Amino acid sequence: MSTSTVQNRPAGTPAVRPAAGSGVNFLRTLHAEWIKFTTLRSTWILLATTVVVMVGIGLLGGWGVGSGLEELAAEGQDPAAVGLDPQLLYMMTTGGIDFGQLIIGSLGVLLIASEYSTGMIRSTMTAVPDRLSPLFAKALVIALVAAVVGVVSSFATYFLMQPILAQYGQEFGLDVENLVPSMLLSGVYLALASLIALALGALMRNSAGGIVALVVLFLIVPMVLGFIQLDWIQDTLPYLPSNAGRQLLALQIADGDLTQLQGGLVMAAWSAVLLAAAAVVIKRRDV
Amino acid sequence: MIEAQGLVKVYGGKPAVQDISFTVQPGKVTGFLGPNGAGKSTTMRMIMGLDAPTAGRVTVNGLPYARHKAPLRQVGALLDAKAVHTSRSAYHHLRAMAATHGIGRKRVHDVIELTGLGAVANKRVGGFSLGMGQRLGIAAALLGDPQTVILDEPVNGLDPEGVLWVRTLARSLAAEGRTVFLSSHLMSEMSQTADHLIVIGRGRIIADASVQEILDGRGRARTRVRTDSAEGANLLTGALAGPGVTIEAREAGLLEVSGIEPRAIAQAALEHRVLVCELTPLQASLEEAYLDLTRDEVEYHSGDLSGIHDDIAAGTAAAGK
Repeated sequence: MSTSTVQNRPAGTPAVRPAAGSGVNFLRTLHAEWIKFTTLRSTWILLATTVVVMVGIGLLGGWGVGSGLEELAAEGQDPAAVGLDPQLLYMMTTGGIDFGQLIIGSLGVLLIASEYSTGMIRSTMTAVPDRLSPLFAKALVIALVAAVVGVVSSFATYFLMQPILAQYGQEFGLDVENLVPSMLLSGVYLALASLIALALGALMRNSAGGIVALVVLFLIVPMVLGFIQLDWIQDTLPYLPSNAGRQLLALQIADGDLTQLQGGLVMAAWSAVLLAAAAVVIKRRDV
Repeated sequence: MIEAQGLVKVYGGKPAVQDISFTVQPGKVTGFLGPNGAGKSTTMRMIMGLDAPTAGRVTVNGLPYARHKAPLRQVGALLDAKAVHTSRSAYHHLRAMAATHGIGRKRVHDVIELTGLGAVANKRVGGFSLGMGQRLGIAAALLGDPQTVILDEPVNGLDPEGVLWVRTLARSLAAEGRTVFLSSHLMSEMSQTADHLIVIGRGRIIADASVQEILDGRGRARTRVRTDSAEGANLLTGALAGPGVTIEAREAGLLEVSGIEPRAIAQAALEHRVLVCELTPLQASLEEAYLDLTRDEVEYHSGDLSGIHDDIAAGTAAAGK
């Protein structure tokens, strides 16, 4: 395969080849996935929406609970008697996560499903033909970003909430038991949720289908199963990804519930199994 | 160099490619020609490791595509102009592709210049015309300055200037000693670009020969003669008939004549007072060779070219009678 003399070289073709021995590796794949992630406008819109929604819902909840607590105190009632608990107020720092998980989850689905719908996946898998590196690089990107979004949103909610609560004399400090770990673990929760979403996107290969699957798994299944009063179904409920993961954010763990660690591990197991399934499917199916 | 051995691809019980073997040599432009649905794209996707062959194997530069450490530096492929996220800019698409191989911004700018995308590089790909999409796909294929270049229907949607550009590019890449594998369903395009042709029909290879060999196999050039009436055509047919001359009546007043020079046809028309309103030498005989080759693929089970030539010759003779 000799290189013959150069003829009719179109203007602009460099005569020198790029340095040899510079092949694909995981770091480069990660860099490429980072470029892809940051160069779509939808990424920034969904990230900003996640933060705004999480902070907004947390603040609304804090305002509602805080003003309620003040009224009860003014009337001389015990908040606990009507089911209002300061713990509920503290929980509002991560109160927007139910919606936040769906928005950043959509981003997780889109990260891979949009490549299938646009055909980009063929470019991706041609550049990195082992096929699994792009999936794992995407997983790393979305998990890290989701973790940062979770932590930033929780702390932003906390700090923005205090001036509102101060009007009702209900402000609280970061020394509330388990509060700081809960806000930090909200990042882990969102990271795991976005990994599950990414896996669903890879399995469905379709943006709409992936997002529907996400909503079904995180919202509809827990709700529907919650209505069914069969013991074995009720016993299953705590092991659903969102219910198990919720233990990460809990400030107090009731007797018999999964601990923080157990809940986190169950949710991590969901994401690991779904990602493994996605990896097998990506490796086996034609692109 | 691309080497395929016994490649088979079956989609859901339907064979798309049936036991094809071929070699694409470096230093030449090899055309991969066949009607739509003949299996060209499927074959190219198997070369690039996107589709797993049902049977057989294919290597590029000695290794299956996925086994290369730096695949984009070995093989550049335009498989589908739409293999790009529509919401990303051309520049960012190329940057991301380049990043997988540690290819720098300089090369990205170079391929943007080379493919004439400078003016639209920062625009969203979704707004691109088909032609610009093709150019972007070619830019991506050239990123790694690869030894082997595979282009699936590269001139689709290009304007005449773009077609000429692709032709020049393909020829210059081959002149540099690279392997250039170009698919098309248009023989006319191939006749001006390719040195060698692999013709595929219904998933089988029906010819694998140089352009010249296929042309030679097709036989003589022809002339289209249009007269103002069927009578005139009949008169002319009688006047031209002779040994070695074949005349086909295409429609009323329209003849296709081979075995005799256009000047002699005009001479005969003048002598017989037949008004001729068109006298066109038919250059596109490669196109006809291709049509003959693909007309009934079932007849040709192998790539044995000599057999095909006989068949073509027989077919032409029969048509001339």
